[in-house]
Amino acid sequence: MGSFLKKDLLVFWRDRKEILLSLLLPIVIILLLNFAFSGLFDEGAESMDIDVAIVQQDNESIGLEQFEVRVNELDFPPAEKEALLTQATQISPVRLINEFFNDPEMKEWVSAQELGKEKATGLVEEGELDALITIPVGFTESVLSSILLGEETEKNLTINVKEESNEAGALQDMVTNYVNTLNFQFALGTAAEAPAPEPELPEGGREVVEGAQVYTMTQYFTVAIAALFCLFIASTVAMKTVTEKREHVFNRIILTNSKPFNYLMGKIISTFFMAWIQLLITFTVTQLLLDVFSGMSFDFWLGTFVVITAFSIAVSGLTAIFTPITLRLSDPNAANGIFTLIVMGMGMLGGSFFPIDFLPDWVQRIGEWTPNGLTQGTLLEWIQYGSFVDLILPIILLMGFFIACLIIGMFLFPRRERI
Amino acid sequence: MLETINLSKNFKGKKAVDEVDIYLDEGESVGLLGPNGAGKSTTISIISSLLKPSSGDVKLDGKSIIKNPAEIRKILGVVPQEIALYEELTAYENLKFFGEIYKVKKNILEERIRDVLEIVGLKERQKDLVKTFSGGMKRRVNIAAALLHHPKILILDEPTVGIDPQSRNHILETVRKLNEEQETTILYTSHYMEEVEQLCNRVYIMDHGKVIASGSKSELLSILSSEDTIQVQLSETSDQLIEKIKSFDHVRQVDETDEGIRIISKKGSNILSGLVLAAEKEGIQVTHYQMETPSLEDVFLHLTGKTLRD
Ligand SMILES: Nc1ncnc2c1ncn2[C@@H]1O[C@H](COP(=O)(O)OP(=O)(O)O)[C@@H](O)[C@H]1O
Ligand SMILES: [Mg+2]
Repeated sequence: MGSFLKKDLLVFWRDRKEILLSLLLPIVIILLLNFAFSGLFDEGAESMDIDVAIVQQDNESIGLEQFEVRVNELDFPPAEKEALLTQATQISPVRLINEFFNDPEMKEWVSAQELGKEKATGLVEEGELDALITIPVGFTESVLSSILLGEETEKNLTINVKEESNEAGALQDMVTNYVNTLNFQFALGTAAEAPAPEPELPEGGREVVEGAQVYTMTQYFTVAIAALFCLFIASTVAMKTVTEKREHVFNRIILTNSKPFNYLMGKIISTFFMAWIQLLITFTVTQLLLDVFSGMSFDFWLGTFVVITAFSIAVSGLTAIFTPITLRLSDPNAANGIFTLIVMGMGMLGGSFFPIDFLPDWVQRIGEWTPNGLTQGTLLEWIQYGSFVDLILPIILLMGFFIACLIIGMFLFPRRERI
Repeated sequence: MLETINLSKNFKGKKAVDEVDIYLDEGESVGLLGPNGAGKSTTISIISSLLKPSSGDVKLDGKSIIKNPAEIRKILGVVPQEIALYEELTAYENLKFFGEIYKVKKNILEERIRDVLEIVGLKERQKDLVKTFSGGMKRRVNIAAALLHHPKILILDEPTVGIDPQSRNHILETVRKLNEEQETTILYTSHYMEEVEQLCNRVYIMDHGKVIASGSKSELLSILSSEDTIQVQLSETSDQLIEKIKSFDHVRQVDETDEGIRIISKKGSNILSGLVLAAEKEGIQVTHYQMETPSLEDVFLHLTGKTLRD
């Protein structure tokens, strides 16, 4: 077995160009994809820049006066009325909204400007602005009554957007959050339960962008491309067998009474090494160049390493099937065609080319059983949840795939007559 | 020690090997002669356990090897017709790999490699990649790889095809030495009859999958025993002279050639004096007279009506 492995590795080493190509190709493709997609799929809110207009229709002093009138109408002791009015001047809802948008942290994401209604609507229509936030007439009075007197809110902030987008959704979330927090704070002080101002969208209702991005686009295609190209190594190694057949060394090997198992193991182990090295290099280089898995822990890398290793073993199992096929088929192009079909099919079903959420359920189910699909799914989950227990089953499945392949490969291995 | 019994092999209904019976005794050097497509390689593949026969058997010391090929593989060295080497590896690396999988013991493998490289005369080039070698050098490494486990029987399938005369002589000399000095039993396949004549004690002649003649060289030549072929150079020819010679006792055929005539006569009949006399009468001089020694080529021609190189 050692002799076969040494020979196979040596033969590959002599063909360094091919090795280098197969090692570097996935990296190149990941870099290209990253370059091509970086504009399209900006990751989460990180680089978000929301332009909003604030249309101020409320007059704060009139609002305060109206609130004062209301308080005076109530049947409260004068001291209490006095205290409520003092509090009211301190709250100033409009100021709170302005402060919210002028907060330095907030300014990194959102640039807000106060505009007239006509102009703001026009700019949103033209797409110059992402959203328009209206502070309606009577807002001050309504908020004060709600907070201090526990009455229903009558006037809410409205958010208008032209199109639903990541930006609009995120903005909506932020505003809702903020208002909720405010309400909560005041509720603590007033023991009154006030509903949050309900932002509204012009049409289509409330379509919130998925909360936290679960994994980034770059992470997806790094994992997918790495897994896909790894499969091709099985085909590359098996196709080397064609040379052995053409050069008749395989006959000579048979004449030495060598066991097919040893011959196959040489191919399998060299595939494992190449697949493993390719994956390690791909993950390391893309991490260094693109910071794909930004800020991940040591545990993350350890788990990834374990999954990569298990996947490399599964890929080497594929070689165990491909090699006897090469030996049996008289036409190397046919063998190559079959391997390419299998690899591409696995890539497709496993979601290596594109996410397959849109395909029928049963197709997705099959995809999850391809070694690349399984590995991809496991790693993407691993990015999100990082629970070691979740790795156990996929690893067992990958090992099972390897063993099944090995058995089939031994079964397919030509004895005599077919050589 | 090794024999085939009624060995036949069909490829899609076409008989490549047809009821072949050949045997090898220990220490012999046997030739298998035949034109391209005669079925030599197929026969060898079956003997060396790479191919199963359609019918018939191969026996080693009386035991069939068809079901259990391990025994023959151990004592057999096969030099295939094609170069069976890793082109991307050096001569040394090839030999080391094949030696290892032949399970030559580690401590003697280096020595064996040195020996076989010596035998084929490629010691200086052992660190070079096989793909940089000439055809003749590749053939020599191809032989070396079959010698590593000291086989008792060496089968060579056209080991001299398409190579320079120097390499060819080297290979022939190597085979002769292996047979004479190391007592390796040789089965040597070729379509060059000179090689077989030179190397082998016994020869099988194959054509169209059948063995059409066999025996020692002299036995085969005796197939042609009933006739002598005589080449005669004359200063000029005349029809009268030819007619006269045709009327001689024992003369069977007279043909005109570029330089004179060719006479085919009964074996051992002396026609020289009668020929000279008849020529003088016509005023013609006999400038050269030669009895042709028949070769295996002539035997083949006689048996099949075609030449080996066709
Ligand atoms: N694998 C094969 N399939 C079909 N025909 C074959 C095969 N091998 C050899 N033959 C045919 O069998 C005949 C004998 O071939 P071969 O044994 O190679 O002859 P030789 O070695 O004497 O030149 C040829 O006609 C050849 O075309
Ligand atoms: Mg041949």
